[in-house]
Amino acid sequence: MWHDVDRDVMTAKRSLDALMRTGADKAYTGLAISERHEMNIEAGEIKLLRTTFNTSLHLSVIKDSKKGHIGLNKSDDASIEKAVADVMDIAAGAQPDEAHDIAEWQEPAEFHKGPTTPDLDAMYDRLKGFVATVSRRYPKINLRQVILSFTRSRAYVMNSNGVDFRTFRGTYHFMAMFSAGEGDKVSSFNASGVSMLDLDRDLIDCGSIDMLLRQSCEQITTRPVEGKFVGDVIVAPDAFGDIWGFLFNAISDGPVISDTSIYKDKVGELITSPELTLHCRPVADEIADGYFVTGDGYAAKNSTIIEKGVLKGLLLSLYGSRKTGRERAVNQGGAIVVEPGNSSLSDLIRSVKKGILLCRLSGGAPNNYGDFSGVAKNSYLIEGGEIKHPLSETMISGNLAEAYKNITGISRERIDYGSAILPWIAFSGLTISGK
Amino acid sequence: MVDLQEYSRLFSAYTELRVQENRSVTVGFIKGNNTVNTRSTTGGVSARVYKNGSWGFASTPELQRDAIVSIVKAATDNAEFLGSRTGVAKGPLPTVAASHDSSFATKKPRLTQKQLVDFIKEIDDHIATRYPGLQSRSVFLNCLDIEKSVVTSDGSRFTSMTPRSHIFITLCVEKDGEPVDLYQVHGGLGQFEDVFESPDVLFPEIEKQYEHLMRKSEGVYPDAGLKTCVLDAELAGILAHEAIGHTTEADIVLGGSVAQHLIGQEVASPLVTLVDFANTAFGQTCPVPVYVDDEGTKAEDVVIIDKGVLKGYMHNKETANHFNAAPTGNARAYTFSDEPLIRMRNTAILPGTSKLEDMIASVDDGYYLIRSKNGQADSTSEFMFGIELGYEIKNGKLGRAIKNTTISGVAYDVLKTVSMVSDEMHWTGAGMCGKKQPIPVGMGGPAVKCRLSIGGR
Repeated sequence: MWHDVDRDVMTAKRSLDALMRTGADKAYTGLAISERHEMNIEAGEIKLLRTTFNTSLHLSVIKDSKKGHIGLNKSDDASIEKAVADVMDIAAGAQPDEAHDIAEWQEPAEFHKGPTTPDLDAMYDRLKGFVATVSRRYPKINLRQVILSFTRSRAYVMNSNGVDFRTFRGTYHFMAMFSAGEGDKVSSFNASGVSMLDLDRDLIDCGSIDMLLRQSCEQITTRPVEGKFVGDVIVAPDAFGDIWGFLFNAISDGPVISDTSIYKDKVGELITSPELTLHCRPVADEIADGYFVTGDGYAAKNSTIIEKGVLKGLLLSLYGSRKTGRERAVNQGGAIVVEPGNSSLSDLIRSVKKGILLCRLSGGAPNNYGDFSGVAKNSYLIEGGEIKHPLSETMISGNLAEAYKNITGISRERIDYGSAILPWIAFSGLTISGK
Repeated sequence: MVDLQEYSRLFSAYTELRVQENRSVTVGFIKGNNTVNTRSTTGGVSARVYKNGSWGFASTPELQRDAIVSIVKAATDNAEFLGSRTGVAKGPLPTVAASHDSSFATKKPRLTQKQLVDFIKEIDDHIATRYPGLQSRSVFLNCLDIEKSVVTSDGSRFTSMTPRSHIFITLCVEKDGEPVDLYQVHGGLGQFEDVFESPDVLFPEIEKQYEHLMRKSEGVYPDAGLKTCVLDAELAGILAHEAIGHTTEADIVLGGSVAQHLIGQEVASPLVTLVDFANTAFGQTCPVPVYVDDEGTKAEDVVIIDKGVLKGYMHNKETANHFNAAPTGNARAYTFSDEPLIRMRNTAILPGTSKLEDMIASVDDGYYLIRSKNGQADSTSEFMFGIELGYEIKNGKLGRAIKNTTISGVAYDVLKTVSMVSDEMHWTGAGMCGKKQPIPVGMGGPAVKCRLSIGGR
């Protein structure tokens, strides 16, 4: 292990030195060595065991304000020598941009998280146990694809300002995709996943897996809502990204630089209902699968994106920050933790006169101002405070920026995905239409 | 590429050995800023072994002899590890031997990175100069070469070099304080030098894109509900791929797709014939030509729907065994470290006899939908496509443009409502399909008139 680390560090340093010797004004090297062990279930059977080794080397240079980047998965001397020459050519061909830069010097640091070796026998036993439990508890379920993997990596980030970060990680990931069937009827597929630092728990008890399996069995027979109405939508944790991806995209580099973000000038303003507080916590202990170093070479820190409805900052990289004159984010997003609310999920459901429990949204990308529409998948009609029946061919539409301001409740219960911790969030005023 | 034949003596069970390199170039300008300027290469060797019903896989980026030997051993050990625990013994896979070499590499001198950047900048400068009222614009070049060499223990061998090159242009205008945008993709099969002659060749297409954008900026919300729509060719291709194609991939059939009960049944209008082409259609090379798949099977066209009747599934060797069918050559892997999965290649609805203008003229109240930004479907064949560009049809004539929306339906129901199919065929090859791994796919079709649900307000 330490012999490997010494060799890795030498490789990263040698690359960086070569870039500077070749005439770069500023240079960055990212080297990662990874090993992944992956067991796969296909159509209900444990079928495939994969072992993959990989190397990832990223070199960036800035010369006369022109930036070039090259990525390769080799780290031998000849490959590095060629990559150094190529990346200088790439930079020479670029258009100059004063906003290009590298991270300033920070105290060198080493980060460790998770186990260093996989337990293949335990992985097999957990997976076999999962298949047996699903078969017993939910006999109508077809396990289309299930993956349990362990990835360990050594990653090194260095730049010509003296940045020197080393990260050593090991993480288990579990993903299940499935549907339920009876006779010639099938449910929509559903899927979820979770990241873990150990295999202490049964896989079916991780994240939202057991709940989704149960729901799939309920969703073999569905029907659309009748007509069209404006109602409440309770967004389940697994549908969080479908609804909130618009916000995270709109506060990141692309839309802010291209001037198409509706949030670019909203820092310090109320953009959601005051019930919502939302963090990005990549280095928190509660997040199993975060990150320690950002893509532009900064030690990541936890941050609050929305505090009681107020936008606290944008998710800009160093380049985005210099390009727009706005503050650089202390992390690169993800690792989302939403503060729990005051209501139970059953209270949220009881408060809905007519609406939907939205468990997955199959929708087109919202436009720049948040208009969206999509199909409610794996979801339920709520009427008179009760869940009535699972839905098909039912669409939801509205404006996400408006919806964020119409949060009517947040659940106390949250799902821990390892990479995020999320509650159920209820919105009012969305259009729901059936056939 | 490394000569793999000498390693075949190491094979102790059914084995595929593959060397592969994916090379990509990305150049991007956002509002005149050269934000992306990068090249990347990912390559290595992998082995996959099948023994008594269990699969083992291993890969490494190293291409030295000892690395290749160790990868074959690791994949064999993995198959044995699983086999020793599952205790499930299954018969051998079908034996097929194929041999082929194909390369779509350019014979022209390669452009330098600077020439590529200058090419994209010239397009960006043209847009900035000609359309000064735009709020924003972006121009991105993405080129991907996939080069591989495969040998299998049952005697197949092939090499291939399949490149594609695309330029993505997004124009954005501000309307009443809100940004409205529209994207367009140019390019297809081949390396940059063979696909793009000069920037000015694209200018007429950019002019059309701008005109559509101006109409879209005045666009209206569609009237939500079940409507008669004419789907332009691009959308028909996505319908073929997402909504029907995925349900007929044999691994998804085994995973519970609705198509498992529909073989031999009428699932669409008799006007609909749907084919997954291996490499050639109507005498032309398809956007993603596959001659031999990554299991070493000669790639054959798969007729999925013939005149409205569901005829067949797409197979790899293992599902072909299960269904007592022949492997169809659909097993493909995206990178060297990926195992082959059942993937579509070039999926298309075949053209009919109607004229697009007659199809539009036949609609009293509906929509002409032209471009999609994304699409999803599931095991029930219920699908959703995001619509980026479309127009109202009122009394047989095109009306106002519509704002971004979503269309949806159950594909096997929607295809039964198809009442007209145009005589023009249009292919797109910019798609990247996601299913554990991403992979380039081709999609094609004529315009199709049908009834489906459209979102709105």
